[in-house]
Amino acid sequence: MTAVLGRRRVAVTTLALFGVALALLMLRFGPSPLAAQASSHREAPLIANDPTADVTDFYMFRSIQPGQADKIDLIMNVIPFEEPSGGPNYYNFDPSVAYTFHVDNNKDGRAGDVQFEFRFTNEIRGIVNGAGLPLAYVALPPITTLSGAGSEGLGVRQHYSLTMIKDGHRTPISPMTDKIAVPSNVGPRTMPNYDGLAEQGMYDLGGGIKVFAGQRDDPFFIDLGAAFDTLNLRSPGTDMLSGFNVNSIVLEVPATLLTSDHGTPATTKQPKLGAYASTSRPRVTVRGGHGRGHGHGDGDGGLVQVQRLANPLVNELIIGTKDKDRWNSLEPQQESAFLDYYENPRLALALSLVFGAPVPATPRFDLENALLKYAADDRRFSELLRLDVSSAPGASWPNGRKPADDVTDTAIQVVGGIAFAGAGDNVGANDKVLPNVFPFLASPWDGRNRVHQNP
Amino acid sequence: MKRPRLIVLATVAALAATVALGGGALRGSHSPGALAAAPADASAYMALGFHLQALERKTGDPVYLTTSEHALRKALALAPGDRAATSGLATLALSRHHFREALALGRELLRLSPESASAYGVIGDAQLELGRYRQAFAAFDTIARLKPGLSSYARVSYARELLGDRPGAIAAMRLALEPAAASREDTAWTRVQLGKLFWSEGRMGAAAAEYRAAVAVSPGYAAALDALAQVEAARGRPARAIALERRALVSMPTPQSATALGDLYRLAGKTSLAWAHYEQVRELYRRLAANGTKTDLDVALFDVDHGIRLPQALALARRGHAHRPSIDGDDVLAWALARNGRCSAARAYSERALRLGTRDAAKLFHRGMIERCLGNRRAARLYLGRAVALNPHFSLLWAPVARKALG
Repeated sequence: MTAVLGRRRVAVTTLALFGVALALLMLRFGPSPLAAQASSHREAPLIANDPTADVTDFYMFRSIQPGQADKIDLIMNVIPFEEPSGGPNYYNFDPSVAYTFHVDNNKDGRAGDVQFEFRFTNEIRGIVNGAGLPLAYVALPPITTLSGAGSEGLGVRQHYSLTMIKDGHRTPISPMTDKIAVPSNVGPRTMPNYDGLAEQGMYDLGGGIKVFAGQRDDPFFIDLGAAFDTLNLRSPGTDMLSGFNVNSIVLEVPATLLTSDHGTPATTKQPKLGAYASTSRPRVTVRGGHGRGHGHGDGDGGLVQVQRLANPLVNELIIGTKDKDRWNSLEPQQESAFLDYYENPRLALALSLVFGAPVPATPRFDLENALLKYAADDRRFSELLRLDVSSAPGASWPNGRKPADDVTDTAIQVVGGIAFAGAGDNVGANDKVLPNVFPFLASPWDGRNRVHQNP
Repeated sequence: MKRPRLIVLATVAALAATVALGGGALRGSHSPGALAAAPADASAYMALGFHLQALERKTGDPVYLTTSEHALRKALALAPGDRAATSGLATLALSRHHFREALALGRELLRLSPESASAYGVIGDAQLELGRYRQAFAAFDTIARLKPGLSSYARVSYARELLGDRPGAIAAMRLALEPAAASREDTAWTRVQLGKLFWSEGRMGAAAAEYRAAVAVSPGYAAALDALAQVEAARGRPARAIALERRALVSMPTPQSATALGDLYRLAGKTSLAWAHYEQVRELYRRLAANGTKTDLDVALFDVDHGIRLPQALALARRGHAHRPSIDGDDVLAWALARNGRCSAARAYSERALRLGTRDAAKLFHRGMIERCLGNRRAARLYLGRAVALNPHFSLLWAPVARKALG
């Protein structure tokens, strides 16, 4: 990326950097959500973080596992910046959130053709609960299994269900009984063989379907520190997210379950899929509260979307901050309300202003074509992650997305155009090696021995 | 917060800022220094303004609201129309009970950011305190549709409570517990709100369990200690109640805690200690007022409750009601009128205070006393009975009076 740098003026630059850093801090941590105590009227928090409903990344790709090329994998990661040592409660999925993958298989931009919904419940149990210990996990004895002997130390255990929704019809794929989410990696005394424990949480449901829910290493990678240090880039760069974990839901299904004609990647006449991940919470209204004493929601079971995520970058780089709540509340096929952001991307403007390098002229239709359409002549705009399942396994974003794809570099190159070909941050891979077998994500850092640096 | 997207944006911004002015695109009519420095200043002032509000929440010292306002106004002057600065000023206006100003800022926020949940939050909160319930509830329904989570569930819960739908209020506040779980402070706050819902219908054990859960996640949390003190007092353990209330007051010196401690001392027969704390209450309200908070209604209620300068208290209540014509404003004005012997005028306001069907023991008690003053013995018994039936310990000072009046 040095080719487009030009000269620098350090003093002024430092001021600008300070502003950017502050802006970042404001964005990351926001105005404090803590409600006031001092005033006598009821002050509820106005802005609250919601990490368990915060989807950090969404992936969809043709399996890169040898012999599994007829499978499609869908991954959603939630809970940003999990500090591995974050006890005593560590990190769990949210029982009040529906975590859903949505797939469009007939190119109409509506991702309701096939949906997979994950719901979680908490079980408080075991010796921890019996002894009233303020710990979620304890080595009494060491935790070696998710259930039965060796699982006594799991004071909190999450079960989950998986439901497939096709044409509005709900089919339970796995009931809320035996599937258990893999707990956070506490450390070697409490969980002496974490990988073995995690493997027990990789379920083969039959019919070519596999699921995993639990903690993983955050596969996203970027050298933010070098960029902030007055563009003190290095080769190789350092992954700023090294040593942080996320909670992942990984679903592998035969492509035949997704395609509209039930064809395989080789035989389907309709190989193009579009998809996104969402989190939803129960719908409530002021007047809807009558007649219920307990339980969740307003009794109708209705859910309302908290967040959606298809392509990386869109929410933060393309959509303006002022429209984010609205954007998240709408469906992908309503993206035409936001076309201006794609045609006049702020990122390109910034790149052009500060680097002085030419970027493609506006209005731009290449971003719309890449992110919102199946083909250039498509008149329906829908922000979906698109995958041509007939492409060979290993295709990279924006043809699907694998955990290993370097979306930072791709985004700068695509948005910046020809002048930014080859630009990037020199972090081309995750800090942990990403496996090419299910669940395609690396084991999480453990709470005792974690280090925030590259191994 | 979408971490990866955010980081990519930040990287690009950092890259951009780092080489700003190197590329030459900004040269010419603009001064590069000013362009680069002005946003930095605005964000620095903004960060300072929010940090000072956080300090106020932590310490309860309202002087931080004054300094926060200075910082945010400066930020807004440097970056006119900035959403974050406008939002900061809006929360400041709400904290200081400047509800009309908050409403205007909320509408400005909505103009800057259509369909943003926090704009509807500000608007709804302000409308609620201005007594415009239909609009307030519509705003809350909108937030719940746009962004279901702690801030919307808590607001819907409060609206349901005002409408007398306590089971619905409890259900919504329970829903808020899950999204609140990510933050100790949010969890403590939500637990206390849930506890108060139980408390308001006399479920003392359930309330105490929530308050204790709040202290467990956030030790020294003043609102929970204060609420636990009420529980201990109701259970006939005044020494424990006093110890808890003292801890609450040390943790955060609020007029509410000082009032409760004074009342506890008064009931324990320690009159001089009681009056020392009542003097502290006045001092705390003076400090709030000196830092821009409207305290008329709160001071009026304190004075009326404690029989202090009743005619002046009525004048304060009228002023307070004018800027906060909510059912709380109606109730305080009704009570001030009643304690000044103006019981028939008081009843009109009490009717307004109960117009939503709120099941609030204090408001029902006030109505009972007004009916008694008017000689309507049956109505008086009805309202006093409803107050005590809801929560026999609704107030340190007045619950015994209600019970005695009922015989």
